[in-house]
Amino acid sequence: MAGGDSPAETKKGSSKTSKNTKDSSKESTLKQKSPAEFFAENKNIAGFDNPGKSLYTTVRELVENALDSSESISELPEVEVTIEEIGKSKFNSMIGLIDRERVDTKLYDDYETDKAREKRLVKEARASEIQAKNLASGKKNKEPGVSKVLKARGEASYYKVTCKDNGKGMPHDDIPNMFGRVLSGTKYGLKQTRGKFGLGAKMALIWSKMSTGLPIEISSSMKSQNYVTFCRLDIDIHRNIPHIHLHEKKANKEKWHGAEIQVVIEGNWTTYRSKILHYMRQMAVITPYAQFLFRFISETPEKNVTVKFTRRTDVMPPIPIETKHHPSSVDLLLIKRLVTDTSKKTLLQFLQNEFVNINKNLAARLIGEMGPDFSPGMAVKSVTSQQMVRIHQLFRQAKFDDPSGDCLSPAGEYNLRLGIIKELHPDMVATHSGSAQVFEGHPFIVEAGVSVGGRDVKQASHILLLFIHGINIFRFANRIPLLFEQGGDVVTRTALKRINWNSYKINQTQDKIGVFVSIVSTKIPFKGTGKEYIGDDISEIATAVKSAIQQCCIQLKSKIVKRLQAREQQERKRSLSRYIPDATGAVYEVLKQMTEEHTKKRKRYKEEETAMLEKVSKLIITKETLKEKLAEHVEQVDYEMALEYATQSGVSEEPRENIYLQQLNPNHSNFIDLQSPTFVFRLIL
Amino acid sequence: MADKKKPKRTKEDKDEDLPFKSILESDEAILKLLKSYISSSLTAAGSSGASSSSSSKPLTLADLSLSSSCREVADLSLSSVQTEIETVIVQIARSILAGDGFSFSVPSRAASNQLYVPELDRIVLKDKSTLRPFASVSSVRKTTITTRILALIHQLCLRNIHVTKRDLFYTDVKLFQDQTQSDAVLDDVSCMLGCTRSSLNVIAAEKGVVVGRLIFSDNGDMIDCTKMGMGGKAIPPNIDRVGDMQSDAMFILLVEKDAAYIRLAEDRFYNRFPCIIVTAKGQPDVATRLFLRKMKMELKLPVLALVDSDPYGLKILSVYGCGSKNMSYDSANLTTPDIKWLGIRPSDLDKYKIPEQCRLPMTEQDIKTGKDMLEEDFVKKNPGWVEELNLMVKTKQKAEIQALSSFGFQYLSEVYLPLKLQQQDWL
Repeated sequence: MAGGDSPAETKKGSSKTSKNTKDSSKESTLKQKSPAEFFAENKNIAGFDNPGKSLYTTVRELVENALDSSESISELPEVEVTIEEIGKSKFNSMIGLIDRERVDTKLYDDYETDKAREKRLVKEARASEIQAKNLASGKKNKEPGVSKVLKARGEASYYKVTCKDNGKGMPHDDIPNMFGRVLSGTKYGLKQTRGKFGLGAKMALIWSKMSTGLPIEISSSMKSQNYVTFCRLDIDIHRNIPHIHLHEKKANKEKWHGAEIQVVIEGNWTTYRSKILHYMRQMAVITPYAQFLFRFISETPEKNVTVKFTRRTDVMPPIPIETKHHPSSVDLLLIKRLVTDTSKKTLLQFLQNEFVNINKNLAARLIGEMGPDFSPGMAVKSVTSQQMVRIHQLFRQAKFDDPSGDCLSPAGEYNLRLGIIKELHPDMVATHSGSAQVFEGHPFIVEAGVSVGGRDVKQASHILLLFIHGINIFRFANRIPLLFEQGGDVVTRTALKRINWNSYKINQTQDKIGVFVSIVSTKIPFKGTGKEYIGDDISEIATAVKSAIQQCCIQLKSKIVKRLQAREQQERKRSLSRYIPDATGAVYEVLKQMTEEHTKKRKRYKEEETAMLEKVSKLIITKETLKEKLAEHVEQVDYEMALEYATQSGVSEEPRENIYLQQLNPNHSNFIDLQSPTFVFRLIL
Repeated sequence: MADKKKPKRTKEDKDEDLPFKSILESDEAILKLLKSYISSSLTAAGSSGASSSSSSKPLTLADLSLSSSCREVADLSLSSVQTEIETVIVQIARSILAGDGFSFSVPSRAASNQLYVPELDRIVLKDKSTLRPFASVSSVRKTTITTRILALIHQLCLRNIHVTKRDLFYTDVKLFQDQTQSDAVLDDVSCMLGCTRSSLNVIAAEKGVVVGRLIFSDNGDMIDCTKMGMGGKAIPPNIDRVGDMQSDAMFILLVEKDAAYIRLAEDRFYNRFPCIIVTAKGQPDVATRLFLRKMKMELKLPVLALVDSDPYGLKILSVYGCGSKNMSYDSANLTTPDIKWLGIRPSDLDKYKIPEQCRLPMTEQDIKTGKDMLEEDFVKKNPGWVEELNLMVKTKQKAEIQALSSFGFQYLSEVYLPLKLQQQDWL
C-alpha cells in the first residue's frame, strides 16, 4: 500500500507522546501546541478536506502568493503552473520504495469475489449488447463504454505541483523560516490581502509532509542578486521548525528574479480538474494584467492540458496600503495586542496613533469620557485588563467617522471589463464600480460586471468556463475567485432573487447572462468553515451588491433596446407576412359562408354587402386577391417604417474598443524594417 | 395577548369539549333569530321600495347618465351576433381590397379603463378603445387571432351549437399557442361586438358546485340539490338552461374553498339550518357568478360569504360582489349585490382564539396586496371591511378556513357557523 495513512499515523502518535512529556514538564500544554500541529489536525478549515480539494487549494495558494509577490514590486505578473501526475511506481521510486505485487489478493478491499465477478460480467455483457443495438439503430453512443474503474482505498494519486513567478523572490537566508515555520498573527496593521488565512504555501507544505513525506523545493532570486537560491526542506510539524535538506546558491544565467516552488502531494485531478481550470480562468478574468500558463502533464499524453491566459493590459491596480484599525472594528484581544506592541508612551498618543479616525482632540475627549481612572498622560502599558474593557465598550458606543476606502485596491472597472471580454467574449458587457462603504469599521468596495451572450459551446470545447443559458455567477473577494458554496452567497442570492431581469429586457432563462461581482475589503466577512462565501445577512453588502448589478443592467438595457429595435426592423416584414394567410383565410371563410347564405336566400343582406358577396361568388374576390392586397399593404407599411427608422436613428455605429498590442520582447533585436513614407513594416524573425 | 390566554383556555377545554360551545344556544333559538332578521330585512327593503318606486328595478348606467361614457354589453340573439360579425368582416374585406390593410378597434380592458360606480356597487368599463392594426409587429398576432375567432364564432352561429373555450382553442392550436391567448381574445370579441360571452355560444368547463335546499330545472330536468349526494350539483355552464328556482332556504352560504364545502355538505349543514351552499373552488368562473346572481334575484335570500382571512379571500368576495376587472364590460349580469362577509375575518382570529400555530405570517406580497386593496373603492365603501383589512395588515397574520380544524374537523359546522349565525356576526 502506498503509505497515505502511515505518516499521519506516526505524526498523531508522536504528538500524543510529546504531549504527555510536556504535561509532566510544563503546566500549560495548550500554549505549547505548535501552530503547524494545529493546522495539520484541522486541515479542513484551510481547504485541505480531501485529496482533490487539497490539490486545488495548493494550486491557488501558490498562484496567489506568486501574484502578490510580483505586484509588490510593480512587475506585471507572469505565472507558470504545472501539475505533473506521478504514477505509483514512479512515486515509489521517488521515495525509494520497491514495487511489490499483491500476493494475498483476498487481503485487499477491492478483491472481487467469484459472485461479484459473475455479476459484473453479466452486467458488462448486457451493456455491450445495448451498445451494439444502439449502434445498429444509428443512435449516438454516449461514451465508449469504459466501465468505471473504482479506485480502491489507499490507491492514492500523486502530483508534483510547480509554480514559477517573476516576483520579488526571497532573501537567501530567510527562505527556510518563511516556509518551514507556521506563524500566526505576524501582521501588525490591517491590509487588503489575497490570502484568506495568511498561511500561503505553508499549508501546502504541511499537506505534502502528511501525504507523501517528500520535501518541498524552492528556487528563488531577487533583483539585486546574481545567484539563485536553491533550497530543499521539509517541516518538523511537531516542533514547528524547518528541516533543511539542501540550501545552496547557484548561478543565475537568465537574470531571472522571482520564485519557483515545487511540492509533491497527494491529490485527485479527475474530480477537481474543472474546479482548477475554472479557478485559473476566473483568476485571469480578475487579473487581466497577468500572464498565466497552466499545464497538466499526465502519464497518458492524450490527457495533457495546456492553457495559456494572455495578458490583455499593462495597467495594474495600486498595491493595497496598510492601514490602522478603525476603533469600531477592534475587539478586546486586539486592544491588548496593540497595547503590548505599541511604541507610544501615553494613552493619548496611543489612541491618536494606533487607530484611524481619532485625532488628538477626539482622543482627549474619549479619555475624558472613560472616567476618572484614565488620564491623557497615563502610561499606556499600565492600562489594566479591566480598563481595556472600558476602552472597548467606549469604542463600541462612540461615534467615529467612517474609514476611507483609500487603503483598498479594487480591480478597477477597466480591468474587470477587459478580463471579462478577454476570457469570455460576451456580446455585451457593462461594468460598474461602487463607492467605498463601511461594515463594522472595515471599508469595502463592490464592483460588478454584467454580460449578455457569449461564445458558442462548440467553439470552446476543452476550455471549461462557458456560459450556460441563464445566470452564471462569478464571485471574487479581494481579487481572488470564490468557487465553492455558491448557494448561500450574497451575490448569488442577490442576482437570482432581488434583480428583476425582465425589467432590463434580459431574459433570465433564455439569455446567457454573466454576473461578475468583486468585493474588496480590509476584512471580508466570510462565512462557512472554508471561508468560501460571503453571507447574505449583511445588509450593507447586500445593498451595495444589488445597486452595482443594477447599475450594470441599466447600462445594458439601452444597448439591448437598441439591438431589439434593429432586429425588429430586419424582421418586421417577415413577421407580418407570416400572419397574412391566417387572417385572410378567416375573412374569406366568413365571406364564403355569407355568399352561400345569400345564394340560398336564407338571409337578406344590405345592398353594399350584396355587391361584395356577388363578387365572391363570381370569383372576382378570392382568398388569393385578399392575400395579395394585404401583402401589398404590409410592403408599403414596412417601407414607410424603415424610412422613418433610418431618419430617426441616423447612421450610428457601435462604440469602438481599444485593442491591446502585446509589448515586444526587447531581447528580439533582429528586425527587418521595410520603410515607407507613412509607416514602417517590421518583420520579426 | 393570545399567548397569555392560552394556558387558561386549555383549562377550560377540559370542562367542555369545544371552546365557545357553551355560549351556543339551541338550533331552534338560532333559527328563530334568523327568521326575525330575514323578515325585518325584507320589510325594510319593502318599505324602502315603497318610498322610491324606481328601486324595484335595479339601477342601470342609463339611470346615472353614464351610458355614453361607459360601455356595457347585452345578451344578443344568435342571429344578431351573426349579423354583427358579418358587418365587421365585410368592412375588413373592403379595407383590405382598398389596399389599406385592416385594423380592429377593441375596447381597452386595462385597469386604467375601469371605473367603480358606487351607486351601482360594481366595476364598469369606460369607453376607451385601442386600435389593433394588422400591419404592426406588436399587434399583428392579436389581430390575426381576433379574425380567426370571429370566423369560428360565425360558424357556431350558423350551426347553432355550443363549444367550450378549450374546444375553441383546439381548432387552431398552432396559431393560438396557448389557451390564455384565445381566451383573452374571446373577451375582446364579446366586448367589441357588444354582447355577453354567453351569447357567443362559448362556455367554460364546469367549475362551481351547489348543494342544499334548492330545486331548479336544468335543460328541462328538475334537480333537487338536497338529493345530489355529497358532492352536490355542478353549476351548468350556460345559465339559459337554468330556470324554475324554488327554495325554502333562509340564506345562501358562499364558500371560497372546496375543503370547507365538502365538510359542510357531508355534515348536511343545510338540513340543520336551511340554506344553499355554493362554491366555485377559488376564483369564481362566469357560470357560478351568473348562477349566484340568479339565485339572489329570484329567491331574494341574503348571501353570506365564508372566505379565508387573507387579501385573496376578500378579493374573491369582491369579484362576486362588484365584478372582476377582466370582465367588467358585463358586470351588470355577473355581480351579486349585498354579499355579507361572515368569516373568517381577521378579528375572528383573536375572538375565536385560533392557536398561534394555525395562523400564517403574511408574505411581503400578501401585505402589498392587502394595502393595495385598502385603496380600492369597493373596500372603502364598507367601513367594516376597511377596519378588518387594516387589522390584517397590522397584525400581518392570515389564516385559512381550515385553521378552525385545529379544534376538530367539525368545529366549522358544529360551533363556528352556528355561533356566527346566532350573533348575526356579518359585515
